Amino acid sequence: MPSDGLNSRAAVWAILRKECRSEWRTRYGLNASLLFALTSLTGVSFAVGRLSDRTDILSALLWIVLLFSALASLSHTFVREVEGRTLTLLRLVASPTAIGLGKLLFNLLFLLVIEVVTVPLFLTLMAAPGPRWPAFLGVLGAGSVALAAAATVVGAIISQTRGRGALFAGAAFPVLLPVLAAAVSGTRAQWSGGAVGPELRLLCAYAVALLAASLLLYDHLWED
Amino acid sequence: MSAVAVALEGKDVQHRYGARVGLRAVSFNLTAPGVVAIRGANGAGKSTLLRILAGLLRPSHGTTDFRVSGEAISPPSRPRWVGYAGPELAFYPEFSAAENLQFAAETRGLADPDASVRTALERVGLQSRASDQVAALSSGMLQRLALAFALLHDPPVLLLDEPGSHLDEEGKAGFEDLVARERGRRLVVIATNEEREWSLAERWIELQGRGLGDPA
Repeated sequence: MPSDGLNSRAAVWAILRKECRSEWRTRYGLNASLLFALTSLTGVSFAVGRLSDRTDILSALLWIVLLFSALASLSHTFVREVEGRTLTLLRLVASPTAIGLGKLLFNLLFLLVIEVVTVPLFLTLMAAPGPRWPAFLGVLGAGSVALAAAATVVGAIISQTRGRGALFAGAAFPVLLPVLAAAVSGTRAQWSGGAVGPELRLLCAYAVALLAASLLLYDHLWED
Repeated sequence: MSAVAVALEGKDVQHRYGARVGLRAVSFNLTAPGVVAIRGANGAGKSTLLRILAGLLRPSHGTTDFRVSGEAISPPSRPRWVGYAGPELAFYPEFSAAENLQFAAETRGLADPDASVRTALERVGLQSRASDQVAALSSGMLQRLALAFALLHDPPVLLLDEPGSHLDEEGKAGFEDLVARERGRRLVVIATNEEREWSLAERWIELQGRGLGDPA
């Protein structure tokens, strides 16, 4: 008999597990993302050497590498369902909100894996000064949640359109810009000894606003 | 499972895809158990009507009322109560047949996903290919998998779009046996132009569109 599975925690976890298993088997995004992070960091370190006294450049570089290495995969979690024609299956077994939350959790996990590899590599190759870990991790965590939430909801919207590739850049830019600006500013502040509170609050508020907007939006995404 | 009281009513249901008419106005009143066939020319809107009934598509005009034991079920909640199989239903090619069903069972929150998957695969004769990757299955086997997906959560309504397509003779006979078993337990709605599948039904809905999506 039908169960109460729709819109439940079980559905969110099942979708998260499915995404992880699918990524593990196909390596759609992981290999490309790690390759981008490795090659860009190696290339920059060869070209400009150590940047330990330029924390402004270091902060921007860190977030640019994180953004571009993760973005191609983050934005494609919904597009893959549409292009593989599996969205109908997904819609039949889970509510739009459960699908959105499952995808968001996967994107967060994906970003975490990218960061676990990229951040130590970045600190080593760029000879970055030792970060103030609580502040650094706070900005990194809040920035990642905001980045994943923004990429997930924009990816969900553009997956329903025809010119998806071109549209993502245009639609994502205004949503991602505040995340990037606050994250770069917060990262620079923790290296220069300044307070990261304002940036951290901004990132958290932005992440919460994006999550709330996503939850309101998901139910209406696939009505037609 | 004993038959659950299901009533499915459509009033002046129509749908347009931009300038094209996807489904001309149709009204109906269906109750469980029983078998209903929807027929009409290609593009007359058989698949569109099934998608509307499944809650996957909102009609441009008209209403559908779906009741289970007297309680109205809103379109977003309908997938809990219907089993849907159709040409647009695709599975994850990197997973096996059983893994696709396991995912569906876990996402639906079924009490015993393993048993549900095993039973569904047995009912369509696909148990011997359960661990094969979907990418390696023939179109006939994919059709059986779609039927297993529809039966997985034991729903009171089955919405089957061209269920016999790609099936071999054994598969078609198996499908007919399945309909014969289910006709006293559920509402089975079949969209088809196959005479062999029409004859399984005791009620019919004739779609009046001119076919191939009427121009505006």
